[in-house]
Amino acid sequence: MDDEALIAAVAGGDDTALRELFTRHAPWLATRLHTLLPAAEVEDVLQETFLAVWRGAGRYRPDLGSVGGWTWGIARRQAALWLRRRGPAELLLPAAADPDGQLPGGPASPAELGDPAEAALRRAELAAAVATLGPADGPQRETWRLMYLEDRPVDEVAELMGVPVGTVKSRAHRVRQLMRAALRHREPARAGGKR
Amino acid sequence: MNVEISELTRRFGRTEAVAGVDLRAGAGVFGLLGPNGAGKTSLLRMMATVLPPSSGTLRLLDRDPGSYGPRREIRRRLGYLPQNLGYYPGFTVAEFIEYFALLKDMPSGQVPRAVATAIEHVGLGGKARAKLRTLSGGMLRRVGIAQAIVNQPELLLLDEPTAGLDPEQRVAFRALLREFGQRGTVIVSTHLVEDVAAACSEVTLMDTGKIVFHGTPEDLIAQGEGHGVGDAPLERGYSAVLAAARS
Amino acid sequence: MTRDPDMTDRLGNRPGRGPDGIDLDRVWTGVAAEVWRRRPGPAERLATRLLRSPGLARALLTTPSLLLGWVLATMAVLLAGVAVTLGTGTPWVALIAPPVAGAGIAYAYGPGIDRAWELSQSMAVSDRMVLLVRALAVFGLNAILGLVASAASGAVAAVTFGWLVPMTAVCALALAAATVSRSANVGVLAGLAGWLIIVLGDRVAAGQLTAAVTSTVLILPYLAIAAGCVVVAMYATRTPRGTS
Repeated sequence: MDDEALIAAVAGGDDTALRELFTRHAPWLATRLHTLLPAAEVEDVLQETFLAVWRGAGRYRPDLGSVGGWTWGIARRQAALWLRRRGPAELLLPAAADPDGQLPGGPASPAELGDPAEAALRRAELAAAVATLGPADGPQRETWRLMYLEDRPVDEVAELMGVPVGTVKSRAHRVRQLMRAALRHREPARAGGKR
Repeated sequence: MNVEISELTRRFGRTEAVAGVDLRAGAGVFGLLGPNGAGKTSLLRMMATVLPPSSGTLRLLDRDPGSYGPRREIRRRLGYLPQNLGYYPGFTVAEFIEYFALLKDMPSGQVPRAVATAIEHVGLGGKARAKLRTLSGGMLRRVGIAQAIVNQPELLLLDEPTAGLDPEQRVAFRALLREFGQRGTVIVSTHLVEDVAAACSEVTLMDTGKIVFHGTPEDLIAQGEGHGVGDAPLERGYSAVLAAARS
Repeated sequence: MTRDPDMTDRLGNRPGRGPDGIDLDRVWTGVAAEVWRRRPGPAERLATRLLRSPGLARALLTTPSLLLGWVLATMAVLLAGVAVTLGTGTPWVALIAPPVAGAGIAYAYGPGIDRAWELSQSMAVSDRMVLLVRALAVFGLNAILGLVASAASGAVAAVTFGWLVPMTAVCALALAAATVSRSANVGVLAGLAGWLIIVLGDRVAAGQLTAAVTSTVLILPYLAIAAGCVVVAMYATRTPRGTS
C-alpha cells in the first residue's frame, strides 16, 4: 500500500495503517528531529506527531505534498510547540526551508542530517543568515521569530505586531528572500559542496 | 524466594493429585514437566491461589495466600495463564487485556501503556482492535499470554502456553520467558520437552503427583545417557527418569 | 521499505531501535496506548468513584444482565405484565417480576456465565466481590423497574410491594442453582420452577393466584429460603483457604 492509501485508511480509523506509516517514517523523522532537539525530547515530539497524524489524517490532501512532507510539517509544528513551552527559540531551524523541509542548497542527504557536525554547521549558517535580517527588535527579525520560530499563524502574528495581515505577508516574503540570498551566498564555503 | 512450597498435597476425593511436593524458586525460568495427570496443573493452580491445598505449606512472594489481604497482594503481582482460558468473544484484544489489568488492581493511569506494551510484546500489534471471535487459536493463546504479563508480574505461571504457536513464535516466546525470568519467577508447565530446554534454568519432572526429578536441563540429559527411548537428549532423560520412577 | 504481510503477526516484531539511540519501540507504545485506549463512559466513571475500584466498576458495567438489550427485554416483559393487569384485573406484574429478576441474577456472574472463570478466580478484585456488586445491582434495578410497573398497573399497595420478598427468595434460588451447577441457564430454570411451584401451590392452598405475593404468612419462609440459598451460593464460590 502506498503512503496515500495508508493515510486514507488512517483517516478511516485503521490503526494498523498508522502502525505501517510509523514503521516507514518514524526513523527518518527521528533523525531529522534529532538535529533540532535532544534525544529524549525527540521521542516525546515524535509521539505527539503521530498522535496528531492519527487525529488529523482526514485533513491530508495530495496537493499539500507528499505524506512524508506533510508529516514532517506536523513534526516541525510539534517541535515548535514543545520549544515554545520549554526551550530557547534559537534552537529551532527557521523557515527558510520550503514546505517539504528542504533548505536552500538542495536536499540534505540522510548522511548530512545524521552527522552532528554537519547539523551544527547548518545551524551556524542559519544563525548568520538570520543576522542579515536586521537588528533583533526590527520588524523583519520580529516577523521571522513569530512566524517561523514560534510557528504562529499569520493572523496571530498580525495581531501581536499590531499591523494588517497584508503587511505581515509582505514582511514574511522579504524575510524569505533575505534568508535564501544569505544562504546561497554561503554555499561555496561549505566543504565538498554537497548537493 | 518467590515460591516456597513444603509437603504440599491436594486431594480430590480419594485421589492425590499432588502428593507431598517440595519446591523453592527464586528468579529465573523453571520448567514443570510430566505426563498428563501428573499433577502439574493442580500444582500450578495452587500457586495461582485458585485452588486451596489440602495440606502442607505454601508461601508466595513472601506472603501467606491463606489470608485475604496478603492473597490480594500476591494476586496483584501475579500473572496466570490457565490451560483452558475462555474468552469474551465480543471483546477486542485490547479490551480483554485491559479488563484483567483493571481486575489486577493496576492504577488506571498506567493501564493504557501497559496494555499496549503487552500487545506489542506478543506480536499482536496489528490485531489490537480486532474482536476475539475473529482470532485463530494461536492468536488467542498469545492474548492469554499478554493478559498474564500486562502487570509486569513477579510470579508468572503459564500452563501449556505454547499450544497453537508456530515454531517462529515459540522462539520469540522463549525470549519473552527469559526476559521475565530476569526480574521474577516464571514457571512454565508444558509437555513439550524442547520448550523447556531452550528457556529454563531448572526443570522439575512430576509423575503421579510427586516430584521425580529436579535439576538443570543438563542434569536431565545426563540421566538419559544410555537410555534408548527418545529422539533428543532431553527426551531420553525424561523417559529414563519416568521409567526409573515407575519401576 | 516493502510491506511484509506477516509483519504484524510475528511475535516480537516491532518498529525497533531508531537512530542515535532513540527508542522507537517506546515511542510507538506511547502512540498505541492512546490510539487503543478505551475511554470509560459517565456511568463507569460514576461507578468507579462509588465503588472506589476501576476494575469492579468495569466488571459491573459488563454484567450480561445489565446490558441495554437485557434491560430493554426486562422492561418489555414488565410492560406486557402491566397491559395484562390493566386488562384482566389480576396483578400479573407481581407474579412475573420475581422470575424475571431471578433470570437476571442467574445471568449476572459465576462459572456458568463467565468463560474466563478460572482466570477471574486469580484476580486481585475477587470474584466474590464482583458477584456481590453485580447481584445487588441487578436486584436493585429489577426492584425499581418492577415497582414502577406495579404502580403503573394500578395494583394495591400490598401487592405493589408484596412481591419484593418473594423476589429476593427467587433470586437467591437462581443464584445458588447457577453457581452450584456452573450454568446460568440452570439458574434461570431453577428460579422459574421454584416460583411456579410456590405460586401454584399457594393458589391451590388459598384459592387465589396472587396468594404467593399477598400472604404475609409466607414472608418468613421466603426469607429463610433466601438465606439458605445465599449460603449455598457463598459455599459454591468460596475463596481458597491457605494452610499455614
